[in-house]
Amino acid sequence: MSEFRKLTLAYIGLLALLALTVGSSFLALGGFNSALNLVIAAAKTAVIAILFMHLASDGVLPRLAVAAAGFWLMILFGLTLIGQ
Amino acid sequence: MSSDLASASYLAEGAGPRSWLLTTDHKRVAWLYFVSLTAFFFLGGTFAVLMRIELATPAGDLVSDDVYNRLFSLHGIIMVWFFLVPSIPATLGNFLLPLMIGARDLAFPRLNLASWYVFMFGSLFALASVVLGGVDTGWTFYTPLSTLYANGFVSTAAFGVFIVGFSTIMTGINFIVTVHTLRAPGLTWFRLPIFVWTLYATSLVMVLATPVLAASLILIVLERVFGIGIFNPDLGGDPLLFQHLFWFYSHPAVYIMILPGMGVVSEVLPCFSRRPLFGYKAVALASMAIAVFGFLVWGHHMFVSGQSAYAGVVFSFLSFCVAIPSAIKVFNWSLTLRKGEISFETPMLYALFFLALFTFGGLAGLFLAALAIDVHVHDTYFVVAHFHYIMVGGMVTAYMAGLHFWWPKLTGRMYSEVWGRIAAAVTFIGFNLTFFPQYVLGFLGMPRRYHTYPPEFAFWHILSSAGAVVLAIGYLMPLLYLAWSLFRGAQAPANPWRATGLEWQTSSPPPAHNFDRMPTVTRPAYDYPMKGLTEKRSDPVEDLV
Amino acid sequence: MKSPTTSIAFDRPARETAADSFAMWVLIGSEVMLFGAILLVFMFARLSYGDAFAGAAKHLSLPLGTANTVVLITSSFAMALAHMYTAARRWRAAGWALAATALLGVVFLAIKATEYAREFSEGLAPVLGAPFIYKGPDPVHAEFFFGLYFAMTSLHALHLICGVIVIGGILALWPRTIEASRFRRVQAIGLYWHFVDIVWVFLFPVLYLINR
Repeated sequence: MSEFRKLTLAYIGLLALLALTVGSSFLALGGFNSALNLVIAAAKTAVIAILFMHLASDGVLPRLAVAAAGFWLMILFGLTLIGQ
Repeated sequence: MSSDLASASYLAEGAGPRSWLLTTDHKRVAWLYFVSLTAFFFLGGTFAVLMRIELATPAGDLVSDDVYNRLFSLHGIIMVWFFLVPSIPATLGNFLLPLMIGARDLAFPRLNLASWYVFMFGSLFALASVVLGGVDTGWTFYTPLSTLYANGFVSTAAFGVFIVGFSTIMTGINFIVTVHTLRAPGLTWFRLPIFVWTLYATSLVMVLATPVLAASLILIVLERVFGIGIFNPDLGGDPLLFQHLFWFYSHPAVYIMILPGMGVVSEVLPCFSRRPLFGYKAVALASMAIAVFGFLVWGHHMFVSGQSAYAGVVFSFLSFCVAIPSAIKVFNWSLTLRKGEISFETPMLYALFFLALFTFGGLAGLFLAALAIDVHVHDTYFVVAHFHYIMVGGMVTAYMAGLHFWWPKLTGRMYSEVWGRIAAAVTFIGFNLTFFPQYVLGFLGMPRRYHTYPPEFAFWHILSSAGAVVLAIGYLMPLLYLAWSLFRGAQAPANPWRATGLEWQTSSPPPAHNFDRMPTVTRPAYDYPMKGLTEKRSDPVEDLV
Repeated sequence: MKSPTTSIAFDRPARETAADSFAMWVLIGSEVMLFGAILLVFMFARLSYGDAFAGAAKHLSLPLGTANTVVLITSSFAMALAHMYTAARRWRAAGWALAATALLGVVFLAIKATEYAREFSEGLAPVLGAPFIYKGPDPVHAEFFFGLYFAMTSLHALHLICGVIVIGGILALWPRTIEASRFRRVQAIGLYWHFVDIVWVFLFPVLYLINR
């Protein structure tokens, strides 16, 4: 049952990433702690979006929506930060 | 009403309140919105007239300063969120979008009806804040005024605006999905009427900007009700951050308001000059460019709010850039008129007034985008005049153009052309008389939001107040003759203006499922002058399909 | 026999299903902006008062937060299974998977409520007029941290509550729902549920894991 296997692997991968992010927070990496946390969160998001939400296989429209949201989020953060 | 037409019309599907309040027909939902929005328009207009009467004399003799604060706040809140933002999309857009793309309904008809109920639920809160005593923060809810000092019903009003945001997002999602999935066979993206393009661009802005407003309003209510100090400097918060979030929504919201108006004008101008729209692709893409660029300029509301000089320069530059797609449109509209067989029916009069007033107001926007000039005229009547030229002179005028253009389609009745033209002229004169003096006042240094002023400003204020009365008459007249036409107007043919577009291929008013035969599109939009349509004034179906 | 499409606008159920999924993704895009704006507020504060925030974050319960993350990831897994079983028309298994998802959602909310109760009793909840008692350095900005913490987690919890209610509704109507609609409903709530999970995936490190 390949679909079941795929979902299970995704689940195990998510738990592993969680262990990694919690574990890394006990190491003193300075500013890299936050960066690492965000990278791991992004990786988890990719796993959930692609394997649980079928983002890659549901046609072009869902990806369009995600791309638009990502682009506008970038505008919101980017232009607010230039004022600082 | 002849019986064979009545049996086919969506209006004949039922007559009781249930048939309206539980309908999922996009055409009837459009009417639900239309009735509610008209009520809000006249409520907001009443507040404006009261302000102008107060300002007819330099002294504060009609209302106190506190009442005046509440008047302009409620005028802004109601006009922006309960009229302008939903105005064209929820009424004309709701009615016409499926017709224009050859669909039987919007993608989610029940969601569409739900959006109206959510809108009404939100408006209850806004009306409650009016009845309970009003809000005195201005429509912008600036912190820390709104969180620490305001003694009006800020939470009630903010919550109402928050709820209405849901209705906006519902409409936006519905429109986006509809345009993507329900276009008729042959109706490619570059054959879409510009009105559909602008509704699509508007929906994009609605879906992506409204949640940011929701976030800022949630935080305000949390701060007022739960005591979380997010914008309170004493508790570590940052009041400027509210302005960032607020204008991230509210500047694009200006384009939510004006883009559908641009769409209406792009339909009306080609029809009454019997010419294809000049530079169709440029106009279509300019609509999308406005939707994107509109998000990059919010900092120009904060030039004097203490953001860094560097940010000011960037936002000033970007604000000049956003004028480019608007200018592209103005040039294309003007060139559409060139060598056209222009006739001056009521919708065309309104569309031409739009062209004049939008250009005039837009150019004043460039003044405001310039950092040094903005420091001088910021928070004066110059700004008030600028955005009223865009919002009232532009948007409301376009709304009137669209209303008159599609009224035969909406109702199956013709209105009085004579009264239509008179009302358009009265509106134009009244509008300029009201708002042009405000440019002068602002330039002379009259700040906005004061209920008294030094006597040397009296001349311009009196002119403006007189204009407001003329303008009010100009807006009351259509209410009367359009209502009259519902009962006494002549039967409208399917295509009274000899216009292109799928909505004119079905009967007036359309049947409940829009088309008896689902249309197929083989030609570009604005295929004027339509050969073979010059003699016959009705039933163009054979000529087009 | 009812028409297989819900909206009269569509002639085929497959197109309506695709439109459904697109609409959910657009809604998610909208929600991304909502949470994005609030995260922006947090990020600003974090950049300004990093030390106070790091100190305050240590007062949150890492074990409970981690446990909650595990619970929510598991619920997402259950939801993905529900989607798989629905697509395979294994209706009983799909129903159980949906029920498990909702149950895990309730477990998450229960753990969250425990955390809130603990924070109220320790005087770390500067909301609803509760006293704020904080021993560490810079209590003003620590209070700001806790204010944002309550705002962000309660907004997330509200989304989760909505999800649980909708799953409950779908399960209650399950026997009376035609098959095409069952799939569309599971697909829609699934996308929503996974999105709420993703929000937590960001909230957890941002709030609980500031330089431990």
